[in-house]
Amino acid sequence: MTATIGTPDPGPGHPVTGLDEVVHQRARLGILTIAHEAHRVEFGYLRTHLELTAGNLSKHLSVLETAGLIEIQKGYEGRRGRTWITLTAAGATALADEIARLKQLIARVETTN
Amino acid sequence: MTTESIAAGGDPRRLLSDIRSLAHQVRLDQRMTWVALLVLGVVTLVGIPFDWLGMTVHCHPDTSCEFARRGVLFYWPPALLLAYTAIAVCYVRAARSRGLGARALPYAIAGAATTVVFTAAWVAAALYFPHHPLPHQPLPYWWLLLDRLVSPWGMIGIALVVLARIERNVGLRLFTLAYLAPVLLVLPTNEGWGLAGWGLQARFAAPQVVSGALLLLGAAGFFRAARRRQR
Repeated sequence: MTATIGTPDPGPGHPVTGLDEVVHQRARLGILTIAHEAHRVEFGYLRTHLELTAGNLSKHLSVLETAGLIEIQKGYEGRRGRTWITLTAAGATALADEIARLKQLIARVETTN
Repeated sequence: MTTESIAAGGDPRRLLSDIRSLAHQVRLDQRMTWVALLVLGVVTLVGIPFDWLGMTVHCHPDTSCEFARRGVLFYWPPALLLAYTAIAVCYVRAARSRGLGARALPYAIAGAATTVVFTAAWVAAALYFPHHPLPHQPLPYWWLLLDRLVSPWGMIGIALVVLARIERNVGLRLFTLAYLAPVLLVLPTNEGWGLAGWGLQARFAAPQVVSGALLLLGAAGFFRAARRRQR
C-alpha cells in the first residue's frame, strides 16, 4: 500500500487505506482513464499522451494486465503491428473505486482544514 | 509524465484534475462532429428535389388544394439510414486511425430509431387522412410542434441531442438547440413557407433550404474549431 498522500496517521476507514497500489500511480491511472473513455486504445496513443517511453509504458501495462485490469491484444494493420488495450470489468470497477477514494480524500482534507 | 516524476502519492486534487483532462482529451480526439453535420446537411439539401418532384397536388375549384409528399416518404427513410451508417463508419475509422475506439454505435442506433419513428408517423398519416376528415382548423400549437418534431428535420435534431450527450459535447448541445429552435418553432416545414406567388413545391422547399444551410454552417464551424485545436 502506498499511502503517502501527506495526511497524518490515517485511522481505520480513512480513504487512504482503501487506495489500491496498482491503480494509485499516475501513469497507470492515466492508462485506465484513457482506456475507459476510449473503450479501447492503441499503445502509441498512450505513449504520446502519457509522455512515457515504450519500455516504461510496457512495464505499467504488464502490471495492469497481471492484475486483470486490462486486456492486451496484438495484431497487424497492413504491415504495421498494433497493440490495443481494453479495460476489463475489474479495471472499470478499480478505476471508479480509485476516483471515489480520491474524492473522499479531498473532502476529508478540506474538512480537516 | 515519467514514472520518476509522478510519485505514487501525488496530490489527489492534481490526480483528479489529470484524470479529467485526459478523459476530455480522449473525447476531443474521438469527435467528428463536423462530418455528422456535413452528411446530414447534404442529405437535407439533396432531399429537396425528391420532395419537389414527388409531391402530388390536387387543387379544387374553391382554390383549396390537397397534396401528398410522397417524395419525403420514399427518400428520407433510406437516406437517413445511409447517412447514419456513413457517419458511424467515419467515426470508427477516424478514431481507429488516431488509436482510439469510437462511441458511434449509440448514435447510429438513435439515428435508426428516429428514422423508424418518423417513417411510422408519416405512413400512419398517409394511410389515415385520405379516409378521414382533417382535424378542425386552426390546428392546436402542440399538434404543429409534434408534426414538426416527427419530420425528418426534427428527427435529425433529436439524433443530434443524443450525439451531443454521448460526446459530452457542449458546443454541439448549443448548436442543436440553435438548430431545433427554428425547426420546431419557426420554420413551417409541415405547412410551407415563402413569398406570395410561390408554388406549393417552392413553399415546402424554402424551410428545407434553411434547415440544410444551418446544418452546413454548423459543419463549417465545427470543422474550423477542430482544425484550430489540431494546430
